[in-house]
Amino acid sequence: MTLTNRRLLWLLAVEEYRSHARLFGGRRFALFPAFVALVAAASATFFALAATDTGTIVAGLHAVVAVLGLQVGTVGLEGRDALEDLFGERTLLLFASWTLPIEPKRVLVAFLLKDVLYYGVLFLLPLSVGLVPLAVLGELSVVELPLVFLTTAATFALGVAASVALVGVYVRSRLVALGIVGTVAVAIALAGQNVLAITPYGLLEAPRTAAVVGTVALPLVFGTIGVALFEFDRDDPDRTAVDRFGALSARFGSYDSHGIAAKSLLDVARSSGGLWKAVFSQGLVFIVIVMLLAALPDVVRIRPSPGLTIAAVLALGSFTAYNWLCQFDDSRFYARYPVSHEAVFRGKLLAFSLLNLPIGVSYLAAGTALFGSETILLGVAVFPPLSLYVFGITVYFAGLRPSELLFDTPVFAAFTAATMLVLLPIVVAAIAIPLAPTAIGAGSVALAGVAGAVGYVLYRRAGERWERRSRSGNYRSSP
Amino acid sequence: MAAIRTRDLTKRYGDVVAVESLSLTVDDGECYGFLGPNGAGKSTTINVLTGQLAPDGGSARVADVDPIARPIDTRARVGILPESGRPPSFLTAREYFEFAAATRGMDDDRLEPRIRTWADRLAFAEKLDTLCTDLSQGERQKVLIAQAFIHEPRVVFIDEPLTNLDPIIQERIKRFFERYRRDGNTLFLSTHFVETAAEVCTQIGIVSRGRLLEELRPRGMDGDALLERFFEVVGREDEPELKRR
Repeated sequence: MTLTNRRLLWLLAVEEYRSHARLFGGRRFALFPAFVALVAAASATFFALAATDTGTIVAGLHAVVAVLGLQVGTVGLEGRDALEDLFGERTLLLFASWTLPIEPKRVLVAFLLKDVLYYGVLFLLPLSVGLVPLAVLGELSVVELPLVFLTTAATFALGVAASVALVGVYVRSRLVALGIVGTVAVAIALAGQNVLAITPYGLLEAPRTAAVVGTVALPLVFGTIGVALFEFDRDDPDRTAVDRFGALSARFGSYDSHGIAAKSLLDVARSSGGLWKAVFSQGLVFIVIVMLLAALPDVVRIRPSPGLTIAAVLALGSFTAYNWLCQFDDSRFYARYPVSHEAVFRGKLLAFSLLNLPIGVSYLAAGTALFGSETILLGVAVFPPLSLYVFGITVYFAGLRPSELLFDTPVFAAFTAATMLVLLPIVVAAIAIPLAPTAIGAGSVALAGVAGAVGYVLYRRAGERWERRSRSGNYRSSP
Repeated sequence: MAAIRTRDLTKRYGDVVAVESLSLTVDDGECYGFLGPNGAGKSTTINVLTGQLAPDGGSARVADVDPIARPIDTRARVGILPESGRPPSFLTAREYFEFAAATRGMDDDRLEPRIRTWADRLAFAEKLDTLCTDLSQGERQKVLIAQAFIHEPRVVFIDEPLTNLDPIIQERIKRFFERYRRDGNTLFLSTHFVETAAEVCTQIGIVSRGRLLEELRPRGMDGDALLERFFEVVGREDEPELKRR
């Protein structure tokens, strides 16, 4: 019996399903697409009733999906280190290329295809189903829904492929990668509409030949580049490092007396991609938002405040920074030392702040060059408290396992609701700000402040909550 | 004086009873072997005694501290070598010792000579500045053993200590255990390797399906004799090949 590509893909998909079903329970996992559809339907209905243009809703959906694809593609940044730490004990198939005569790149292609199919079923199909209320309200034709699914799926695939390709360039030359990102950003700023015309979103707008070719060819070209450039083996299998832990820990003083922040930052800095992976992943989010903000006036009439919009989306993206900081951690590891969860989370907060805030503020500062300083200052004011809020709810709901949060339906539901509760009003404020700049600006800062305080309270409570769970032997996330 | 004492300690996972009414006493200067088949509840017992897990019933006292009420204090006083676990991937071995020391508030002056001692004892001095993720399985095990003893605790919990180690290092560790115990410290050693238990331990508790079935002193017993006793206690009928012997 030979291992065909189809069988390999099937085995990876089955392994992925069983892994999630075992972690969260089959029913909880199976509920996930239904929940995504429900949230999408509620959001679409809300925006439609608020007289938001249907084109804006569909464009927003594609932007969200593009960001998701870009984020998923950054798995390439993790390289072999994280693959070993993340999946080593869980997926034998991914590591089959190290133990069985299977070409590693064949496994990688199957892995990426599996991810696209998986997200297609779990996220993209439910997101498209969530647009049904627009059809009921007569805003969208029913026959357009399958097309929206296809274009979002293609947008996701494009995002994954572009991200993997960029990562491949990045690990060889950061300068070249930066040059590519800069060129794309300038092209978008100068001719956003023309760039969009060759993406799957362009296919939805006007099915021209360029859009069809771009939709099919771009993911294939980027994917091929990404797989060709992906590095499976380390240059040095016996890496040494100068002792930095002691100095770093001493610098943080009593706030990190157990060395948790120092350890977490060293984990991120020394794993594949280094600290730059956090810069890179937030950079992708920043580019998509800039692209949207630049192209939006050509499509619809609204002009959201760039500062508030970028700050809100980057704050949501700061979830990724916490995820990087926990990637090489295990609650069982800390349980063997005289360290409470409270101390662990305190160290994580320090590391999160040191990693996330400079990156976010730098991107907001970069936004000043494109959108002027006035609203960006507003963004700088709301970004830190909003990030603290995202940190607080993530720590409270998911503890030291933030990546599991994404597929555990009740936890994801709670996380989504908590996120929407704050970020949605901020986005609405960003759109409404021209009506009363001072009042809405001050209101946004106040809301972000309150959210930050709530995030801080949740973070403080998370220590006791997870200590109790850890000692009961059930370290499972729950709302 | 008792270093470890439990009374009716019980831990359940849902319907599964992992530890059932465990009562035992281990005095200072003993090496207590907790011997049992896979899934007997050995690791769960260590997790409860070190405050990593809260029991469903019973009481315990370890190094004069109640691990149920004061888990952090307990872990500050003991050393733990986990069965499954590895050093943090992206710290070097030296940094890992610094981390372990920092969690216990140990100062650098005391730490540095101990790192050197352990690196010499277990022959990993040239690997001190290597990232733990790049260490071999055996080297990782050496680092884990060293971190459990680096603060010289009065009680050390050890889960399968000799896994992945070459025979020379195994012998050095066994000799060190003997010296450490003679200095008045206590070792609680969980294993399913009968010969190791016979060789190293001064007292043995045979455990199966969460219950302590028998306690004995293996002085003068060799591995085969202890194995015979182990199967008699745990259940020879499950081992047809041994039954034929």
